Amino acid sequence: MPGIDECLMEAMTLPGARGASLVDWNSGLALGTAGESPVGDHETTAAETAELARAAAEFDSFTASADDPDGAQEAEGQPPVEDLIVTTRAGYHVLRFVRTSFDSSVFLHLWLDRDTGNLALARIRLGDLAERLVLG
Amino acid sequence: MLVRLAAERATGALLRDHGTLYLVDGRVVHAESPASPGMDVLLTTAGRLPREGWDEAVDRAGAHRAVGRFLVDSGRLRDGELEICHLGAVFDAAFFALSPTSGPTRFRYGVGHWFGTVRPVSAEAVERETLRRRELLDAVWPYAAVDTAPVVPRPAAPGQGVGARRRAQRAAADGKRTPAELARFLGRPAFHTLLDVRRLAAAGLVETPLDAAPDATPAPPSPAYVPVPPVADPDIALLRRLRDALEAHL
Repeated sequence: MPGIDECLMEAMTLPGARGASLVDWNSGLALGTAGESPVGDHETTAAETAELARAAAEFDSFTASADDPDGAQEAEGQPPVEDLIVTTRAGYHVLRFVRTSFDSSVFLHLWLDRDTGNLALARIRLGDLAERLVLG
Repeated sequence: MLVRLAAERATGALLRDHGTLYLVDGRVVHAESPASPGMDVLLTTAGRLPREGWDEAVDRAGAHRAVGRFLVDSGRLRDGELEICHLGAVFDAAFFALSPTSGPTRFRYGVGHWFGTVRPVSAEAVERETLRRRELLDAVWPYAAVDTAPVVPRPAAPGQGVGARRRAQRAAADGKRTPAELARFLGRPAFHTLLDVRRLAAAGLVETPLDAAPDATPAPPSPAYVPVPPVADPDIALLRRLRDALEAHL
């Protein structure tokens, strides 16, 4: 089953997909990219989306839950935040956290065209992809 | 030198003071550094891979330079995971291997690494990312002294959140472990730990050594350089402008 490139290529087959990448939210490194970047440079987009993802992944308000106030879940490699969605006038951005069997900090970023993209479908499929990337 | 080796599509090992880069056809296929945890630490310390699983892969596939492949084929790891972990380790080690030093740089043609090729990266991308990382550290908190000093946590300010990931890091910081030791202890990449420690220091959640002078200022520390009391959100750009202005008057 898929490596990073296959996974990104599959994400690009979604309706309205304009760009996709796998990014490390701690360092801002793009581990892989496909399609275009909204600013014409995947590395810039990776660094910027990483800041957003890091805020969500680290702020207690998003990561704490009633039965898990200390974020113990994350210690077991389960990021409590599943995804982030940003809608803009021209598009959608879906950031999906990837769970791995070792300590990592990566997410999939999919950029969709607002007119042709299907946000609900993309969100579900990106979740599948994130899972298959590490579970085979 | 790396650029030249990439241009001539060289295969071999680039040896530097703080680490080694392995090239195949001018592309970086592996890197290791004594300063960064290797794949074994990343996968077994913080991961679900048992130590025996790693040892078995090295024993059985090391001679064929296909350890990574073996881990996937034997069901220990998925393709995506192998790539994510390996790329992380390569960029992490490269950051230290390519750090500016006065030491010699040598290239040994034909030398390969037993881990095997996973996902080659262009030498240019590795060099660019290394530079970006160096700048990122200083943009976060321009005190390189926190990179090597033992990490000493400071209490959070009232209402100041820490976050689960950093909480684990602060819990492991016993006042003796340096960031490099923390990285090994937690099974996290060394650069990520450096970056986290600088972020924590900038937020006042980790001590900045009192005699620390900001980077690129070899001048002796003066009261102006003593780290400020913990501020939740220091305005780094303003601090830098202040520093530059003060230096202009020296």
